[in-house]
Amino acid sequence: MRKFLINVNGNQYEVEVEEVGAVHTAAPVAPVAAPAAPAPTPAPAAAPAPALKTEAPKPAAAPAASAPAGAVKVNAPIPGTILDIKVNQGDQVKCGDILLILEAMKMENEILAPQDGTIASIHVSKGSSVNSGDLLVSMNG
Amino acid sequence: MATMDKINDLYARKQKAALGGGEDRIKKQHESGKKTARERIQMLMDPNSFVEIDAFVETRSTEFDMPKKKALGDGVVTGYGTVNGRLVFVASQDFTVIGGSLGEMHAKKITKVMDMAMKMGAPFISINDSGGARIEEGIDALSGFGEIFYRNTIASGVIPQISVIMGPCAGGAVYSPAITDFIFMVEKTSQMFITGPQVIKAVTGEDVTFEQLGGAETHNSLSGVAHFKSATEEECIRDIKRLLSFIPDNNLSDSELVNTSDDVNRVIAELNTIVPDDANKPYNMKQVITSVVDNNDFLEIQEGFARNIIIGFGRINGRTIGIIANQPQVNAGVLDVDSSDKAARFVRFCDAFNIPVVTFTDVPGYLPGVEQEHSGIIRHGAKLLYAFSEATVPKINVIIRKAYGGAYIAMNSKHLGADMVFAWPTAEIAVMGPDGAANIIFRKDIANSDDPVNFRAEKIQEYRDKFSNPYIAAARGYVNDVIEPAKTRIHLAAALEMLTSKRETRPSKKHGNIPL
Repeated sequence: MRKFLINVNGNQYEVEVEEVGAVHTAAPVAPVAAPAAPAPTPAPAAAPAPALKTEAPKPAAAPAASAPAGAVKVNAPIPGTILDIKVNQGDQVKCGDILLILEAMKMENEILAPQDGTIASIHVSKGSSVNSGDLLVSMNG
Repeated sequence: MATMDKINDLYARKQKAALGGGEDRIKKQHESGKKTARERIQMLMDPNSFVEIDAFVETRSTEFDMPKKKALGDGVVTGYGTVNGRLVFVASQDFTVIGGSLGEMHAKKITKVMDMAMKMGAPFISINDSGGARIEEGIDALSGFGEIFYRNTIASGVIPQISVIMGPCAGGAVYSPAITDFIFMVEKTSQMFITGPQVIKAVTGEDVTFEQLGGAETHNSLSGVAHFKSATEEECIRDIKRLLSFIPDNNLSDSELVNTSDDVNRVIAELNTIVPDDANKPYNMKQVITSVVDNNDFLEIQEGFARNIIIGFGRINGRTIGIIANQPQVNAGVLDVDSSDKAARFVRFCDAFNIPVVTFTDVPGYLPGVEQEHSGIIRHGAKLLYAFSEATVPKINVIIRKAYGGAYIAMNSKHLGADMVFAWPTAEIAVMGPDGAANIIFRKDIANSDDPVNFRAEKIQEYRDKFSNPYIAAARGYVNDVIEPAKTRIHLAAALEMLTSKRETRPSKKHGNIPL
C-alpha cells in the first residue's frame, strides 16, 4: 500500500494505491516473467476528482508486461484519457465495434475493433491516461 | 527476298515482339496472379486505341550473356492511346523479359514517351513490374533511372503522372513513382521498398516479409507512400480511369466538365442535424462530403493513411473540386505530421492543375506531444500553411465546427487567401477551446476562488457563450457568411461559379522554398 497526495484544481486528495495482485489471471499463458514490477505509479491527476478515495485506482501502465496478449493489438492512436470501456475480456466483437472511448483533444474518440475476434485482454481501465502507441486491448482474431 | 516475303517477315517479327519473354514466361506471369504488360495496357486503353512505339528496340549490351537473353522491346511496352477518349501515354514494364529489369534502351523507351507526353500535354502512366536495374548493363542502367527521375521532376506540375505498381518495384526504381502524383498498388502482388527483406535481415537483423515491408497495405496505411490500393489488377485499372476522369490533361487545361443530373439547388436536410449537440462527440465527415458533391460521387485519396484528414476529388455542378476535410471521427481530427503532409501535397496538386480547393474544417488544433514535436510538427505543419497560401486556384472554406488557434489559420483561412469562407452556425472559431482559454485567462481568479471547480466551469461557459461561435469572426469579415448547413451545396455552387474566372498572380520567382 502506498500513499500519494494528489492536487486537483487546487484541492488536495490523499490517495492510497494498492497493487491488486493478479488482475489478469485469464489465460494461463507464459508465467509472469519479471519479478513484481516496481510499485506502479498511479495514473496522474486525470482521475475524476471527488470520488477518489473510495477505490484505489488500478495501476494503469504496469499490466502491459504481464498480461496475456492476443495476437491483434489495439494501440492508442493519440494521447488521452480512457473515458469508457465498452467490452469485457472474452467478448466476441465484430470489425468496427466500439472497444473503448478515448478522450483526446476534447473529443470522445471511438476506438474500434480492427477485425472480428475475441477480446483477449484489456490493458487499461477507466480514467487511465495513455500515450500514443500504448497497448489498449489485445484480441484474438 | 520478295516484297511479300518482307511483309511476312515484318509480321513474324511483330508477333515475336508481342510475345515478350515467350509463352512459358507469360504462363508463369499469369500463374503468379499477374497480367502481362500488354494485357494491362489493353485493359486501360479504349479498345483498339493503343499504338505501340519502339517495339523493335533491343539492348545494345554485349556483356555477360546479354546477347542470348535479349528480346525485342527490351522489357517495356510503350506507346499512346486513349482512355475514355482522352490521350494518354503509357510505359508498361514486361516482367517476362529479363525480369522487367531496366537497362539503357529500356529506359530510353520510357523517357521517349515521357517527352512525348510533355510535348502533347497528356497524362503519363507508368506501369511498374520490374526486378530493378539490369546489373549486366552497369552504370548505363543507372543513367537510365536518373534520366527518368529527371523527367518525372520536370514534368511534375505540367502533366499528371500516375504510377501503377503491379509487381516488384525495388531499390532506386521506387523514386520514379515517388516523384509522380499518384501511386496505385495491388494487394499481394505489388511491393515497393528501398532494400528488401534479405538485406534488412543481414543489416539490422529484423525479420519482415515482403508484404509487411512494402506491400499495398503497408504503403496505403503506414508509410503514406501510395495513394490507392486495389484487390485486383482489374479494379486498379478501373480506379485509374476514375481518377483520370477528375483531373485535366495538363496544367493549362481544365478538368472535364461533366453533365450532372444533380440539382445545384439541392437542399440537404440531414446536414442540419449531423453535428452533435455535444461538441465532444464525433461525427463522420465523409457524410458531409458525399452529400454535398454531385451524385454523392467522391473519390477519396490515401483513404487508409493519416485518416484524421480526408482528401479527394468530387464535383459540384459538373466541375472537379479538390476536397480537404478534417475527420473528427479519427483522432479528433487533429493536424499532425502525417495529416499535414498528406493535405499539403494534395493542395499543391490541385493548385498545379487548376482544380478549385474546398475545405471542410473541424479541427481541434495541432496534436500536442513530445513525439510530434520531435518528429518536426513545426516543419510539417508549415507545409499546409505554405500550400494554402501559395495556391492561386479558387479556395473555399466551410467551417463546420471547431476552428482553433494555429490549426484554424492553417485550414484554408481567410488570412491565407481563401476567396470565400462560410461557417455553419455550429462553428467555434477562437484562439483556443473554451476549457484551455478559461484556464489561462482566469488562472488567478480560479486559484483564488472559494470554489475553484464551479468557478472554472462558470468561466468556461462564459467563454463558450461569448467566443465559441462564428459571429465574432463574421463581424470582422474573416467569415463571409454564416449559412444553414442544409444549403451548403447551394452556397458552394454559387461561389465556385463566381470564382471560375479567378486570376491571381504571384511575384515572379524561380520557385518558393516550401519547408520540406
